[in-house]
Amino acid sequence: MSLSRPRAIVALFALAALSACTGADQAEELPTPPVAEAVQPEPAQLSPADLAKAASNIALVPSPAEMQRALDAAGIQAKLGEKVPNRTLKMDVPNKDQVAVRTGVILADLLLTVKTAEKDALAKQLMDIKTGMEQLGAGSDISATVQDIHDRVMNDVVSRDDLVKELDELSGAIIPEIEYEAGPRSVPLIQAGSWLGGANLVAGAVIDAGSYDKAGDLLKQPAVVDYFQGYVKGEGQDKASGEVIAQLETSLNTLAEICTHETLSEEDVKTIQSSTSSVLDLL
Amino acid sequence: MSRKLTLAAAAAALTLGTLFIAPTAFADEDEAESCLRTKIWDGYNDGWAVRTATSASLKQGEYRIYLVTLYAGNEYQISGCADANAKNIDIILHDADGNVISQDKTSDRQPMLTHKPTTTDTYFVAVHATELVDTTTAAGVGMAVTYR
Repeated sequence: MSLSRPRAIVALFALAALSACTGADQAEELPTPPVAEAVQPEPAQLSPADLAKAASNIALVPSPAEMQRALDAAGIQAKLGEKVPNRTLKMDVPNKDQVAVRTGVILADLLLTVKTAEKDALAKQLMDIKTGMEQLGAGSDISATVQDIHDRVMNDVVSRDDLVKELDELSGAIIPEIEYEAGPRSVPLIQAGSWLGGANLVAGAVIDAGSYDKAGDLLKQPAVVDYFQGYVKGEGQDKASGEVIAQLETSLNTLAEICTHETLSEEDVKTIQSSTSSVLDLL
Repeated sequence: MSRKLTLAAAAAALTLGTLFIAPTAFADEDEAESCLRTKIWDGYNDGWAVRTATSASLKQGEYRIYLVTLYAGNEYQISGCADANAKNIDIILHDADGNVISQDKTSDRQPMLTHKPTTTDTYFVAVHATELVDTTTAAGVGMAVTYR
């Protein structure tokens, strides 16, 4: 459809006048159109069941160095590194479960003595860990990494402060993430060895200090014990695990029972020390 | 990136005197890990030590839950770092019963919270990829628990 030129001009003026009048009135009378507010996404609401179901245990087990900090915070003056015995553990044994536990124990010793140990002692611990990693089928990369740390220790080209950082990282971020040819039991058994070694020393420190009122906060960790029990009892256990793993299971059962106590007594702490010693003495 | 390849890179990094976090990183987790690594290293100057560092690839709305044992008297810092695809990463600390103990209030990709327990207990750390820039792809998200 088309309009003649004069009629079209009139129509345009009429429209312009109309919009000029109504536009001013509408600005006051009509409500401002609602502006859609950007909805900020919120984190998912998680129930206790959601949390438990999805939880990873990778960060569950405290490190031996962390145990030392906890002792300090509890006002117990003991230095765990000074209580680490001079161990000689055979690492190239055929039983992988035993290798994993032994590797964990040596790792704990290393973490607790890294600032004070003689260079040769550190080097030996590093070589034991390297052998353990190789026995567990952790791959050539981790082996090369540990060898590199060893070489820098021997050549005095790494400070002890930097070594602490690297070993913390090795223990807390690398070893737990590796896939071992020996299977998924390797990581929890390495962690069990480290935790048992640390808990044994902490129990000794509590006994020496007579600070039994602090024992619950330092030694009662039912979730950790339960985590280890799940692997020690679980399928895939090396049938030739022998007395070390059998004793580990017995000791964990004892610790689990003690964890049900509301507070830990002197007797409980002494039982923790003897139960953990029972495993360590067999290594 | 395969675990073994990443480990090789990690080993090389260590040889050069740099710290590495986890050997399981995918390509999009590298930025997150680098950021986290810097935070961890810097933390040692203030007395912090690392308990755990790990990473994951998360799409918007996804989360990872980590069970952690925290000692009474120790002070803990739970830090997150995510790659550039992350807009808002949140960390929430729950007690063993699921109650929220602490959560970061920021809307960024480097959340952090601290907690000093009065009793030793087990907690859940929830890391949420709350908002991503590109919702069709995942973001690399690292999480570290440090203590002093």
